Amino acid sequence: MSSPASQPIDPTGTPTDPLEFAAALSRSFAQTQDIDATVREALGKIVTLMQVEAGAIFLLDEMRANLVCRASVGPVDITGLTVPNGSGIVGRAVMEDSIQVVEQAYEDQHFFAEADRKTGFVTRSILCAPMSVGQNAIGAVEVLNKRDGKPFNTEDQNLLRLVAASSALAISNARMADRLVAQERLQREVELAAEIQRHLLPAEEDENSPICGLVRPIQEVSGDFYDHFELPDGTIAFAIGDVSGKGLNASLLMSQTASLFRCLGKTVRDPARLMAILNREICATVSRGMFVTMISGLYDPATGHVRFANAGHIPPLLRRPNQRSIEMPADSPPLGILPGSKYETEEVDLNGAQFVLCTDGVTEFRFGDEELGTQGLDLLIDTARGKPLLQRLNAVVDELQRAGWRSRDDLTLLAIDDAMAARTVEQRAESERAQPDSSDFLFGLSFPADPKRLKLVRPAIRAAAEACGFDENETDDVLLAAGEAIENIIVHAYGNRRGEIALAVHRMADGLMLRIRDFAPNVDPAKIQPRKLEDVRPGGLGTHFIRAVMDDASFIPLPDGEGNLLELVKRKR
Amino acid sequence: MTVASITEQSGRTVIALSGEIDMEEAPKVRRALLDSMKQKRDILVDLAQVTYIDSSGIASLIEGLQAARKQKNDLALVSVSQRARRVLELARLDKVFTIHADMATALAAAKS
Repeated sequence: MSSPASQPIDPTGTPTDPLEFAAALSRSFAQTQDIDATVREALGKIVTLMQVEAGAIFLLDEMRANLVCRASVGPVDITGLTVPNGSGIVGRAVMEDSIQVVEQAYEDQHFFAEADRKTGFVTRSILCAPMSVGQNAIGAVEVLNKRDGKPFNTEDQNLLRLVAASSALAISNARMADRLVAQERLQREVELAAEIQRHLLPAEEDENSPICGLVRPIQEVSGDFYDHFELPDGTIAFAIGDVSGKGLNASLLMSQTASLFRCLGKTVRDPARLMAILNREICATVSRGMFVTMISGLYDPATGHVRFANAGHIPPLLRRPNQRSIEMPADSPPLGILPGSKYETEEVDLNGAQFVLCTDGVTEFRFGDEELGTQGLDLLIDTARGKPLLQRLNAVVDELQRAGWRSRDDLTLLAIDDAMAARTVEQRAESERAQPDSSDFLFGLSFPADPKRLKLVRPAIRAAAEACGFDENETDDVLLAAGEAIENIIVHAYGNRRGEIALAVHRMADGLMLRIRDFAPNVDPAKIQPRKLEDVRPGGLGTHFIRAVMDDASFIPLPDGEGNLLELVKRKR
Repeated sequence: MTVASITEQSGRTVIALSGEIDMEEAPKVRRALLDSMKQKRDILVDLAQVTYIDSSGIASLIEGLQAARKQKNDLALVSVSQRARRVLELARLDKVFTIHADMATALAAAKS
């Protein structure tokens, strides 16, 4: 080849000076939005500049098993041609990370003659330079058959190396940009999932509640969850769960499980049955190999009675004052493995004891080789004794972290302190005794917001009203008011869509109290007004009936998103 | 068995209702009332066997009354049970509907 300085500018616009060419190539790679097009264009210029018959760029596929032709210039288009990594001259260049100069292709045992047979092209000489970034091979660029029939010389090799290096950098940058975009999208999804999860946990823990939980995720999204909520009869439904695996999939399965529990936990009063239903639902949707360990149960603060079912989760700890904890094992399988799994409801009377549930992030807390275990947790439960329950739970985790213990998993704790409940229940009873309206809970039931349920609910209310000593007409009035309130929920709160209604009936010294709750968006009580009677339009008639036959009808304020609670009171004449 | 029977007696359509007329059953009552308008006769609604009626049931009766009046017929209530009367009174509709004590009185009443 003649001296670069004396070469004229090629009429196609390709600089004929190799250094100038390499600089131009880098510029075009830096500016491009379409890396494939730029690679093809660059290859065309190389073929012109080096005066060869054909050229191709091969890139390693994602599995790094094959080299795939991503661009080709010459009499035959071989784009898409796949060569196993390590075979052929291209494979050897990549494998050895060294430039390959082959004068007589058919005399080289590595030559991949398959391509020639398929295309009819006759390869004579080959120059192939590996493309890599740092230690990472990404592919190779090759040129075939110098037009003048001469072998590839050192100058050719240097030029192709330069081209390979700048192309490799450009391709690698483009891939990184793609990954960044994908990562950014994933990051947004993760933030969204984290947001959803925060909403699924109980909104704010009440310091004086006898049941409290906390979750400390190690990543933004967690595979752990816990929940607890009060049912119309004062019983508290609770659950703790841990999804196998980490990351987004685990957190989505967690979200699904937690929301199923929120829905079903309000109506299904048998923990074993609830678990069986959850298991069936999760089996139907879960991706293969994922599962959930979970404990769900019901706690009655008035009696200290707990009923729970354990699906493959760490056993609960039962800790009576001044005694070691008792583990309460169960051997039912986790949720999401076998659709027909059976679960059992276990029962225990707390009698002032603490009932502690946790995920394995807590028991697998490590200090060097030492694991905390359930016994370690047992010793920690008395940390910050005498403080409200939530502070105690936080103190347990703070104490571990302060002492240098580490966890590789999310930390979730849920605890019931029945001694606190005993105090609260006593205080509540005292304050109720102090009021003339002291009431006994008669019964509670939960049913779908469906007009068909009305005639099934009425007999129960009738029995309760009669039990409170109301005469036939008064009883009929109570039935009418309850029916109208339920119909209002079906039509106005749920808009005839599916939903649940919970009803609780209390006996008062001088009458009866009905509490009717829905879980629809909040109703503005100011907008629920009886109709004007001169207006014969039926709307609002039900509300008018309620106000006419009951002594008191009022909405009890609930936090946003907790639905609506209507309290109806009827006193005896 | 909300709409127990629909018969013709002395030139009137007699619709006998029974049982509990709530949100679930009211649409059947409404349908029966509106369908019988085609006969262009006065309508007597017998409430003797009604054990429960609420605002949904009342709404159906009101709609029937409005449809009848529109075509210059009357819709009267007969043998109104104590329960139904209480609800009509609560709605102050006991003066809006013509109410007959029993079927004999209703059939004897002069056509308006």
